[in-house]
Amino acid sequence: MRIFLGQRAWLLQRLTALLILLFVVLGAAGLLAGATPSYVQWHAFASSSLGAVLIVLFFGALCLHAWIGIRDIVLDYVHAPGVRLPLLALIGIILCAVLLRVALTMAAHFLPGA
Amino acid sequence: MRISIYRFNPELDVGPHMQDYDVDPDSGDKKLLDLLVRLKTIDDSLSFRRSCREGVCGSDAMNINGRNGLACLTALSTLKEPVLLRPLPGFPVIRDLIVDMTQFFAHYHAIRPYLINDEQPPERERLQSPEQRARLNGLYECILCACCSAFCPSYWWNPDKFIGPAGLLQAYRFISDSRDTASAERLAYLDDVYRLYRCRTIMNCTEVCPKGLSPSHAIERIRLALLRESS
Ligand code: SF4
Ligand code: SF4
Ligand code: FES
Repeated sequence: MRIFLGQRAWLLQRLTALLILLFVVLGAAGLLAGATPSYVQWHAFASSSLGAVLIVLFFGALCLHAWIGIRDIVLDYVHAPGVRLPLLALIGIILCAVLLRVALTMAAHFLPGA
Repeated sequence: MRISIYRFNPELDVGPHMQDYDVDPDSGDKKLLDLLVRLKTIDDSLSFRRSCREGVCGSDAMNINGRNGLACLTALSTLKEPVLLRPLPGFPVIRDLIVDMTQFFAHYHAIRPYLINDEQPPERERLQSPEQRARLNGLYECILCACCSAFCPSYWWNPDKFIGPAGLLQAYRFISDSRDTASAERLAYLDDVYRLYRCRTIMNCTEVCPKGLSPSHAIERIRLALLRESS
């Protein structure tokens, strides 16, 4: 549980921010360089194992970053335990669901019969 | 000069109100505290703390025109009228400009603000090199006036759990003391989602400190020390 407390959370927040920034900068650079991928190209990218790993990594960093940030806001402003705990649980479930959805979609390409 | 002061006497008043005063500063009145002392001769029910009248004791911290500061260090010539005086924001009011500092000092005591060293003391004293001594500059000068903590939004939201800029600056003062041997325990105590990590680097603390200190910088150094400790 310590990974979500104190220093670890602070560190993870910064590392995931760097990762997200890297993706955003690379993506923006690609667009600026005139690369506007078509649906087919996107699909090919997402179906490659490198693409799938990158996409899952990006959403993983995004969800983790969002969790720490939103959790901090809740710890600041929502003090009643009866509201705070369900709220944190709800946010956690939503973020996990997003991540699960992305992971399953990506994995679907690699399962036999897909 | 027009001054509007927050008045609250829990024995008589249902709630607080602002009271206006018109006073002419004497030629010898240079600082806001001089004027408050003069006001007290006109209205002796007005309550505020003060002692040293020279920025050393830290007792006359208040909110002056929306900014925390020491009345004794605030020049009258710099103040826009009407001058609004309120107690330190976020602190429980005892009466008028006097606030309850119990929690503030509880955080101060929690960081163990004293040298910890169980090694056999040398015959005369524990020596420091000039460089080791220099590391305490910008930390030891804190007068615990609470201007910083009472201007920190994170402290307003969690005053019971977040140590606040003043306490953290003091914590770092002992962490960086070469004669102290408890740095690891001190850091372990601070590695907590509330005690240290409620700080969002808003930097109100550094902006407002009447002694020109930088609690936010000390907090950054604590985070880096924790990083070094864990790697
Ligand atoms: S750091 Fe500055 S503002 Fe904060 S308590 Fe110390 S002297 Fe006062
Ligand atoms: S830097 Fe941290 S301690 Fe200072 S005012 Fe901002 S949140 Fe508070
Ligand atoms: S009266 Fe001592 S600091 Fe102002």
